[in-house]
Amino acid sequence: MNLTFHDKKITGILTVLPSNIVKFEDEMDNYNFSKAKSLKLKLAMGYNTHRIVADNTTVSDLCLYGLQYLVEKKYLKKDDIDALILVTQSPDYFMPPTSNVIQGKLGLKHDTICLDINQGCAGFEVGLFQSFMLLEQEEINKVVLLNADILSKKVSKRDRNSNPLIGDAASISIVEKSDKPNVINCNVKMNGDAYDVLMIPAGGFKLPSSPKTSEMKEDDAGNFRSLDNLIMKGDEVFNFVQREVPPMIDSLLEKAKRKREDVDYFMFHQPNKFMLKKLAEKMNVPYEKMPNNVVENYGNASGASIPTAICHNISEEIRNEDMLLCFAGFGVGLTWSSILMEVGHLDFCEFVEFKKEGE
Amino acid sequence: MENFLTDIAELLEEDEIREEDVLEDFEEWDSLTILSIIAYTNEKYGIQISTAEINKSKTVGGLKKIITGKM
Repeated sequence: MNLTFHDKKITGILTVLPSNIVKFEDEMDNYNFSKAKSLKLKLAMGYNTHRIVADNTTVSDLCLYGLQYLVEKKYLKKDDIDALILVTQSPDYFMPPTSNVIQGKLGLKHDTICLDINQGCAGFEVGLFQSFMLLEQEEINKVVLLNADILSKKVSKRDRNSNPLIGDAASISIVEKSDKPNVINCNVKMNGDAYDVLMIPAGGFKLPSSPKTSEMKEDDAGNFRSLDNLIMKGDEVFNFVQREVPPMIDSLLEKAKRKREDVDYFMFHQPNKFMLKKLAEKMNVPYEKMPNNVVENYGNASGASIPTAICHNISEEIRNEDMLLCFAGFGVGLTWSSILMEVGHLDFCEFVEFKKEGE
Repeated sequence: MENFLTDIAELLEEDEIREEDVLEDFEEWDSLTILSIIAYTNEKYGIQISTAEINKSKTVGGLKKIITGKM
């Protein structure tokens, strides 16, 4: 499905990282594989360090820390926020929405729309086009888009398939109406038949967590996990991405009447280095135009991975220039989505490290 | 399929392999090798193959047969 928006812009991006850095080597002994094999995997996938929250840190903690930082730095005025969208799969509660919790703790006006969206790997795109839709309203001028996840808590430490790549982070993107006319092309597709390719089987209303769902079991490949843990069918994700993403980008560019060479950066979701390199090869895009270094530095924090890639790779450029960026997210749902838009002259584009009070 | 055996041998880090060789007996056989085979068949032959299909193929020759069947 194609979506088109007009006269909207991103004016700032902040990524909040937990201060706790975990190294791949320190977790190797948890896996049921030889050291040599794990090191080979590290090299191929680009595993190195990832950011993991301390035990009692929640998504609202990360988001509030970042929002308060922006207010203190005078990048953001509380009264200007008309909508707060939180895209997460690790909310503080089933009810109420975590965005309402954040609104209350930050002390935002009652004239604010708070909205939690359950999306993961394509959460930046889905969050952006939801922001654009809200901005069509006369009374909505500024949307704060939060992409935050702490899924490390749901990944088994003995799962070599998922644990080395997972990261925790929150990103905050400010989305506003633009005086300068522009066109934003988006597309999105979903395939709910494959809902079980990436999932946490237990812990919801269908299968509540119990001593039974926490029993660790070994799979065919030698990974241990329980029904309370995140499970990813890596081969199906790989095949899905290789099959669906290149034609999606072709169709996006065609709709926008732009060429591949016009795009300054393909800022894609960051599952791992291997998958992004294969994708760049298939799309005939030079590696340097499609950054793949988020997993090795921070880990993959689902919807926050694109803002993280922007803050890490082009923070300076994007504050001083206008660029044509192509975003694409792909994963849980299954969902795949892309956006082509001009982004530039951001008021801010940076990282901040989350520290708990007293640290 | 002319380079099939040498390409797969390279992925397995073996000097030489034969069609009757059993996949899981190779020293390097693990989930990363399986993913490399999935990526290789996608790139080279434009087909998609799953971990389950690769495991079911048992031998190098069995793998070749599955790939040929999908082309």
